[in-house]
Amino acid sequence: MSTFTQNDIEIATRAADHFTRLYYSTYDSATRVDNLPNFYRPSSAMTWNGKPFQGSDGVRKLISAMPVTKHEVQCFDCHPIPGSQPPNLLITVSGTVTHGHRPTGNSASTSSKSVDSQPRVFSQTFMLVPDPTAPPSKTGEVAKYYVNADAMRFVG
Amino acid sequence: MDRDTRMRDVSDKPGGRKGSAAKTIQHKNRGPLGRLRRNAVSNGDVVVERKVVDLWREFVHRRWNPEHKFLNLERIAEDEFVRQHRLLPGSGASGAGKEIAVLFKLASMLQPKVETISLAHNGLTSGSSLSRLSHYLPGVVNLSLQDNKLSTWRDIDYISSKRGRLQQLRELIMVENPLRDMEYSNNRIDRYKSEMVRRFPSLDILDMEAIPKIGFDAPAASTSAVASTSQATATTFPAEMGLSFITGVDSSVVSNFLVRFFPLFDNQRAGLLDVYHPNATFSFSSNTTIPARARIEGYHYSKEMPNQRKLEWTPWLTGGHGGSRNLNRMGGGIDKMTKTLHVGSEAAVKAMADLPITKHDITGSPEKFCVDAWPVQAGDSPQLFVTIHGQFTEEPSLGIRSFDRSFILAPAPEGSRARQTGWDVVILSDQLTVRAYSNHEAWTPGPMRVQAGEPMASGSSLQPPANPQIQVALSAMPEPQRSLVMEVLTRTGLNLEYAVQCLESNAWDVGRAIANFEQVKGTLPRDAFL
Repeated sequence: MSTFTQNDIEIATRAADHFTRLYYSTYDSATRVDNLPNFYRPSSAMTWNGKPFQGSDGVRKLISAMPVTKHEVQCFDCHPIPGSQPPNLLITVSGTVTHGHRPTGNSASTSSKSVDSQPRVFSQTFMLVPDPTAPPSKTGEVAKYYVNADAMRFVG
Repeated sequence: MDRDTRMRDVSDKPGGRKGSAAKTIQHKNRGPLGRLRRNAVSNGDVVVERKVVDLWREFVHRRWNPEHKFLNLERIAEDEFVRQHRLLPGSGASGAGKEIAVLFKLASMLQPKVETISLAHNGLTSGSSLSRLSHYLPGVVNLSLQDNKLSTWRDIDYISSKRGRLQQLRELIMVENPLRDMEYSNNRIDRYKSEMVRRFPSLDILDMEAIPKIGFDAPAASTSAVASTSQATATTFPAEMGLSFITGVDSSVVSNFLVRFFPLFDNQRAGLLDVYHPNATFSFSSNTTIPARARIEGYHYSKEMPNQRKLEWTPWLTGGHGGSRNLNRMGGGIDKMTKTLHVGSEAAVKAMADLPITKHDITGSPEKFCVDAWPVQAGDSPQLFVTIHGQFTEEPSLGIRSFDRSFILAPAPEGSRARQTGWDVVILSDQLTVRAYSNHEAWTPGPMRVQAGEPMASGSSLQPPANPQIQVALSAMPEPQRSLVMEVLTRTGLNLEYAVQCLESNAWDVGRAIANFEQVKGTLPRDAFL
């Protein structure tokens, strides 16, 4: 098991940057039911607040019943995981998410000071792995990756 | 000369051929287009006065190739039409920031949308002249800035620095600019490429060379319009908040690891050397945002937590041999990105030793921690994917912070130092996120409210309606009728009497009752509803 080169670290960082933008903009879009499952494969495992969902179909089921979301990524990090080439990636994201149509939940009967109308803090960890069956489709693409494991929780 | 008067007569005439369009622009835009220069043009025997913006529009159309969605804005100052109409100031295109902004605005009105734009050979000396590019043409896919005089990263930042700019950019050409030439002659080609790619994450090709990158199977924003859209309407969550979720592995493996790891992390970080794989990766990052819910709850000033205001972010931002690795705010660029990733067990433990002393009360207050973990297959070796959320007390302030920590673990190989020192697993990767305090009630199991004013949850975990009369009536009902009525109340908005009636006439079948309600709801009287 050799250590990583600067190039490995750069590719991983670039991928994480690209992935987090793409993932949350897809999650928050009107086309999320069609598009979000594409990040996953049938073998992928995910938990949403400790509740398990299996594979792309599980993700589709989950997202179909989800209120409208607006994510804000405040902090993320990514490592190439030692022991594989091209390396698997570990990505952690910390940010806030607002659910529902009214951005501040300002219904007539509740004050905007209500805790329930505020964004939640979420923490989400992904393990991304290369898909050996999906050949690179674009110039320069080293490999195509998918979400192998995904654990999301509301934490504040 | 009465030239001004005459021009006003001709070109400002209401309903004049060009006048109306130009006025629209003028109203919307108080920037460069607000200032409309005018000049007289000799067209055969007839003297036609036209506004400069119309001349620029004609120029744009002359340079537009709709078939290839290509707008060629090369060598503007040398263009015969531009010279004839004296459209540029004496300095030529290099000092023509306003004129270039006008061109971008005009280009934004072209159909189909501009995908490729070349500003090559214009002698541009500052990126500021490009600052409106992403505003007017956010969907540009290919951009050439070949043979200009852009010399600093600042110039590039005008089109790249913020999130959300030129997100579709796939190819960029920067050859024959001092910035690139200098990096090349100083043997910093890799740095040049890294810095450029970091600024344009969607880039596939830079200066005619492919950029190695990882792809994903989700559409880029530009193509997502093809997919069917459906507006989400759910007002409840698809599931309740769940307990810690550990599956596929003997949970003692996870708990043994955690109850040994955190005391060592708190009291003797050097003692963790053996549990990190020799090539392990470690980093920490700080999310300094104040959480909205915690702020309203007043944790920052509460009597129960008197030390919160003594906490300082500095050690978590700059300590730990390199500082926080928040890639969202990686201002320091490539060097910082590399320096903040600690590779190898010794580097990992050394970085940790430089962080503030912590106390994780993982055995004393387990409710303040939450773990999700399961095995993952990575190549041919099994690994364990572990995330833990919780809180710790920080020394010397004794303030409390929240954290998230993610590990990739592998079985400790026979004969390894980890195994010899009694660990079942070794750490391959370890990422720590430190945040401002939020209460652990965030993961209390049970239903959650999506937003103020929404019902709490669906299915078996329905909350009784707030109306006290209904609550009294409900509490008098036997189960299972009571929960069936509650469900119908929540899902239909009917009052108690009608909800009971609806269920009775549908044999107490909630599905049928709701379907029935959907059929007749338009005919129900106003007072059928709460």
